[in-house]
Amino acid sequence: MAKVVGLINLHSDVDLKGLTERRPVASVSFLGRYGVIDFALSNFSNSGIDNVGILIKEKPRSLLKHMSNGNAWNFNSKRGGISLLYDEKYANNNMYNHDINNIIENIAFLEKAKPDYVVIAPAHIITTMDYSEVVAAHQKSGAQITMVYKKIKDADKKFIGADYLKVKDGVVTGIEPNKGNAKNRDISLETYVFNTDALLKTIKEAQNVSAFFNLKDILKYALDEKKIHAYQFKGFADIIDSFESYFRVSLDFLHLEVSTQVFKTNWPIYTNTNDTPPTKYLKDAVVTNSFVANGAIIDGTVDDCVIGRDVKIGKGAVVKNSIIFTGAEVKPGAVIENAVIDKDALVQKFKELKGTPEAPLYVKEGDKV
Amino acid sequence: MGKELVAMILAGGRGSRLKALTAKVAKPAVHFGGRYRIIDFPLSNCANSGIDTVGVLTQYESVELGSYVGSGTKWGLDGNSSAATVLPARERDEVGATWYAGTADAIAQNIEFLDAQDPEYVLILSGDHIYKMDYADMLNAHKEKGADLTVAVLNVSMEEASRFGIMNTNDDLSIYEFEEKPEHPKSTLASMGIYIFTYKQLRKYLKADEKKKDSHHDFGMDIIPAMLADGKKLYAYEFKGYWKDVGTVDSLWQANMDLLSDSDLDLYNIKKDWKIYSEDTLAKPQVIGPKASVKNSLVTQGCTVNGDVSGSVLFNNVSVGEGAKIVDSVLMPGVLVEEGAQVYKAIVDEGYTVKAGEVVNKEAKEVALLSNNTRD
Repeated sequence: MAKVVGLINLHSDVDLKGLTERRPVASVSFLGRYGVIDFALSNFSNSGIDNVGILIKEKPRSLLKHMSNGNAWNFNSKRGGISLLYDEKYANNNMYNHDINNIIENIAFLEKAKPDYVVIAPAHIITTMDYSEVVAAHQKSGAQITMVYKKIKDADKKFIGADYLKVKDGVVTGIEPNKGNAKNRDISLETYVFNTDALLKTIKEAQNVSAFFNLKDILKYALDEKKIHAYQFKGFADIIDSFESYFRVSLDFLHLEVSTQVFKTNWPIYTNTNDTPPTKYLKDAVVTNSFVANGAIIDGTVDDCVIGRDVKIGKGAVVKNSIIFTGAEVKPGAVIENAVIDKDALVQKFKELKGTPEAPLYVKEGDKV
Repeated sequence: MGKELVAMILAGGRGSRLKALTAKVAKPAVHFGGRYRIIDFPLSNCANSGIDTVGVLTQYESVELGSYVGSGTKWGLDGNSSAATVLPARERDEVGATWYAGTADAIAQNIEFLDAQDPEYVLILSGDHIYKMDYADMLNAHKEKGADLTVAVLNVSMEEASRFGIMNTNDDLSIYEFEEKPEHPKSTLASMGIYIFTYKQLRKYLKADEKKKDSHHDFGMDIIPAMLADGKKLYAYEFKGYWKDVGTVDSLWQANMDLLSDSDLDLYNIKKDWKIYSEDTLAKPQVIGPKASVKNSLVTQGCTVNGDVSGSVLFNNVSVGEGAKIVDSVLMPGVLVEEGAQVYKAIVDEGYTVKAGEVVNKEAKEVALLSNNTRD
């Protein structure tokens, strides 16, 4: 069997306003229980790839805490494991702090693992993808590089700024930015399979062209000289590429047709446990259409929400269409609508907090409002 | 260097009064409180009290319990100098295959395990009780008194006292007499089955007890009376707080219901220093559907609720269909309540399905027990 290692590329992650002020997208809370990176990690684990490196761009503290020893994702076997790859040299030098420099800095990881293939995936695209199927298709294609894409039918609203592929006979013939001017696009999911030799060669080429080139840049630049196999992914994928899209993607999970595509019995989403007790619903709780994590205590009205761990919602409080992070407290009588309340924040009764679905209101970690 | 304190949890009980709930598992492995098993409480208490070496003595239906305890990872007991070790009754050299004949015999049969730890003190616990307790504080009391044995006691009412082993004490809490289920109790200090022994004394008395043909090999009936007769220093240590023996279907139901009121158990760890650790089930967060109503209840991850739930405790991966009604009930992991079904005052065992439209125990006088298993 071919040897495959995974790389989770956090360099392509984007800024989510206050949410990423002190943490990378990878460790932003998702659905009250997960970190965004749990989906990519679980995909590798469920695909039988147990040697995974995480290309960390910045602000690693909360991610390191989340990852612990990788135990939660089954990466603790004595073969394989999790490697946190950080480019100390360029940590404070934005132009140089890209995925290619990170791979070069941490080349020992690949040299030691000696894989036949490397699968590279981002954290900020929420998907349940079986990489072993992608690798099998890659092998069959005879190509050195595979790019994964998905046919998106509302590309005028989602994945704006992502790349789309022009595909002919299963081969990538063009890579263009999605400017949102068409509904149907074959959107790149920033997920690649490389023969290891081809990856090392591509990195060298990039350095020869420009020290600022990242993986995306060189694939686009060198497309004419390479045969890149295009793999169409037909499962669920959505992108978190802005604060607003984080809000939308999260609340989309309240629709059964979305959540059932992701939460399948044969594809567990792993995360680390916090040993929180069950959620307690008190006598005046009125909760409908919501995702609720363990440890919450609810005595108010909650509708169309994602409620995180250890959240308290007081009596008579009304929370609608909102995301409340771990440990936040909503005092009795407070009103919240279309908002994201970050970790350990305290919402009191002073002012109603109302955003809009398009522009949700944000309360920072630990703030009192 | 030896360990200061090693804990031994007696977890071999058949729990036959729990009926079908213990048909396939030992009592300590019975589910409790929405996401726990009973044994999570003593094991978490050990971890939180700074005890890093715990033996778990198993006998009845020990497979599921043994694999649940594993090496103690769930309670953080799997470091280089810590461990939870499952100690099943087993075949041994010279004596051959034997069962644990009583609480004291169970420890006696594992004397080599204790010798290897070389402890100064040994804490004996039961795997069937729901409570939070700092054993380190009890050890301090044991050391301060220079005791040979300290027994944790709970101050119960005079009516209840006849159901327990009662410690009759002097003003300084030294024990002068032990009475098992006395008809006319002289004191209300009930033994919780939690003992700290100075190991040298424990070892001596276990060895002596092994040779007694007429002994029940029981701490309450044999070891404590023998130590009292020899004038050893026995002290009571009074525990204040929530403590419950969940020995029957009724008491298990009641203990679950206690969590819905503001019990002293403080599962929500508002004091933030005494978490009860447990297994994580990898389930998605709980989903409360558009037509659901959930009041005065505990609900755990993995649940999907589309019906009406009140006064109830829902464990992992319970599913309640549209129009279904759950009142004052305990639904164990994986229970499926189909559309329009109604369940009143019941314990529904793991994996059971309540069929669409079925009405269970509407009278709600006694606690009903629904299970795929049977046991008389």
